[in-house]
Amino acid sequence: MSEQKTDTGMVIKIGHLYPTLMSVAADRGNLFSIERRSRWRGISIDVEPIYVKQTPDFTKYDLILIHGAADREMEVASKDIQHKASSLKEAAESNTVFLSVCAGFQLLGHYYKPFDGPELKGVGLFDLYTEGSTTRFMTHMALECKFPETGTKLLVGYENHSGRTFLGSKTQPLGKVLAGWGNNGKDGVEGVVYKNAFGTYTHGPVLPKNPWFTDLIIQRALERRYGKVTLLPLDDSTENAAHAAALKLAMEFKGTMSAIEATAWKH
Amino acid sequence: MQTDNSNNDSTTPNGLRKARLAFAISAGKIAGASGRLFHIGGGTSLPGMIARRIDPNVLKSVVGDSKAKKIVITGSNGKTTTARMTAAIADAAGHRVSQNRTGSNLLQGVTSVAVNFADLFGRLESDVLLFEIDEATIPLAVPEIQPDVVVITNIFRDQLDRYGELYSVAQALNSMLESLPETATILLNGNDPQVANFGVNAKARRIFYGLETKDIGTPVPEQSADIIRCIHCNSDFLYEVAYMSHLGLYRCPECGYTLPPLDVAVTSAALADNGEGPSHIKLRTPLGEMKLDIPLPGVHNIYNATAAIGAAVALGFPLDSVQTAMNNVRTAFGRMEKIQAGDKTIFLSFVKNPTSFNLMLRLIAKHEGKKHLLLSMSHTVVDGQDFAWLWDVELEDIAPDILDAVCSGNKSEELALRLKYAEIPTDKIIEVEDREAALDEAIKNVEPGGTLYIMSGYTPTQELRRIMQKRGWVKHFWEE
Ligand SMILES: [Zn+2]
Repeated sequence: MSEQKTDTGMVIKIGHLYPTLMSVAADRGNLFSIERRSRWRGISIDVEPIYVKQTPDFTKYDLILIHGAADREMEVASKDIQHKASSLKEAAESNTVFLSVCAGFQLLGHYYKPFDGPELKGVGLFDLYTEGSTTRFMTHMALECKFPETGTKLLVGYENHSGRTFLGSKTQPLGKVLAGWGNNGKDGVEGVVYKNAFGTYTHGPVLPKNPWFTDLIIQRALERRYGKVTLLPLDDSTENAAHAAALKLAMEFKGTMSAIEATAWKH
Repeated sequence: MQTDNSNNDSTTPNGLRKARLAFAISAGKIAGASGRLFHIGGGTSLPGMIARRIDPNVLKSVVGDSKAKKIVITGSNGKTTTARMTAAIADAAGHRVSQNRTGSNLLQGVTSVAVNFADLFGRLESDVLLFEIDEATIPLAVPEIQPDVVVITNIFRDQLDRYGELYSVAQALNSMLESLPETATILLNGNDPQVANFGVNAKARRIFYGLETKDIGTPVPEQSADIIRCIHCNSDFLYEVAYMSHLGLYRCPECGYTLPPLDVAVTSAALADNGEGPSHIKLRTPLGEMKLDIPLPGVHNIYNATAAIGAAVALGFPLDSVQTAMNNVRTAFGRMEKIQAGDKTIFLSFVKNPTSFNLMLRLIAKHEGKKHLLLSMSHTVVDGQDFAWLWDVELEDIAPDILDAVCSGNKSEELALRLKYAEIPTDKIIEVEDREAALDEAIKNVEPGGTLYIMSGYTPTQELRRIMQKRGWVKHFWEE
């Protein structure tokens, strides 16, 4: 990587929720992405792992990460997160940035009802609910997103979920689905935005291939503490090439369920 | 995906059924021969595919009529080498062995065993039939094979996009084990918390293999480890030692779940310092203690050897020729395979998940000096679509020692991005999508007498090997 920029003296305080319990699909790549892109600009990162049974004051973090997991892990997290719920909601109201992916995204909603199990209670930070299904959405996806800082941008990733998520009136979707299934395969939208809290089904992991989204997260996390910030531009040719390849793939796969049906495992 | 619907043969006269079987087998054999002639993918799954089209019962008929002992080996990692070692032990004990070689372990490849080794009447001369089978194919293949022994090596996060989630794989394997008769034997890796719990309600006999030494391993599992919570109560396991990913000596602090007593256990182990081998181990088996040198490097090959010995124990084979057998096992195609390319050396490694990739990186790290790399990944039906797992590979440790890294395949952008975020300088990362051009570029970077390390997915490994075979550096893999 190009030379590290001089220290800006700025720091982002990150709470990484359930780093071992909810760590499916290599989503820790999101953390790498935030760490490196901050460090390359002379911004320090302070990451605190938050495990089961720990109840920190979540308003002290600028950014909270919560990633994907299988149903079994989600069951554990659902029980535990009830003790964290009020502080998490308080953090979201005070503009802490959240990036929640897949099961993490579902868990911040009202509830997740698995296809063949009891309902798992969520945090209720997002006005949304999720219901399980017997079929799985697995494909490359592309979204069209729009934010004041960035204008219209494309987001690419890989979705792999059997849950169907439905947004309530207090939320906005993260983007419009150009290719892929999205939240429920019906309403043509994906993910959620509420204040600075984002939720999405995109794995990949999502941030490395979408540097503009990583930078939006970094910027909003910094602005919570430091006011208006302009990020130094980076050479994103490697990131943009990977973004373009993923976009091409998503468009090629558009309208197809997935390359391989997981029929052997269907109950 | 095409499925084979069994025809109702009760209405078909016996003669016609036999004629159909003979036709299926001969068509498969011809397809196999022409596949080899025209160098189509080693000709490993073509005979099975053609034969099944003609007679969907071909595998069931041939295997069912055979008096041979049938062994099925499955799991995420180590199937191919475990199968090779098991075959070598059976061979050294004087048995005639037939097996599906070269990693063709989907249903068609499995059927190819029957087609290649049977005569036109569907008769097999073999005493031992060895099937290496992909986890996803198990529910389809096991009812047709009716194995005497099933070996489960481990369950890792392997191509999640194909299987959905880890636990559904586990569930399907478990119901397969519960369907086995009491005459069968289940051999399980006791160091894998999930595998060790397989078949608790099975009628078949369960025996366990694994490591119980503290000579090797680490105090905690690596980052990418899949199952580190108790399968009964979800508490975090405590590890006395972790050998590889989540495999180790685990204990649940809440409910006490721990590994079962091991029937075949490694009681001491020493790995070679040079990353090439051999490893020296001591084993406890129901037939007594034994010492063994394993010529292939790494802790994963200790597991493979121990599983193979476990399979031999399950079948009642004597163990006195195990050392001879081990000495005869060469690296399976693309498993840290050493290849001479003129005055340069190549180590070719097939990697498909963080565990296998990390294992290879750890072996390479033991080799001295700075490293030239060639990484190649492609999304295909076989290799999968989702390459997120690359972000679970622990590249950070080796990053400072990388001189240059050529990224190839239709996932070259993904590889280049991963390397950039491991903080390998971008001017050392070279993207060449075309396989042969990438190999040339990578070789060009290596100084005379130097070494190139290739780590690649399944399809790229096959293709790279075919290029190197064309150049006379390696043999055809079906000749091995
Ligand atoms: Zn427990």
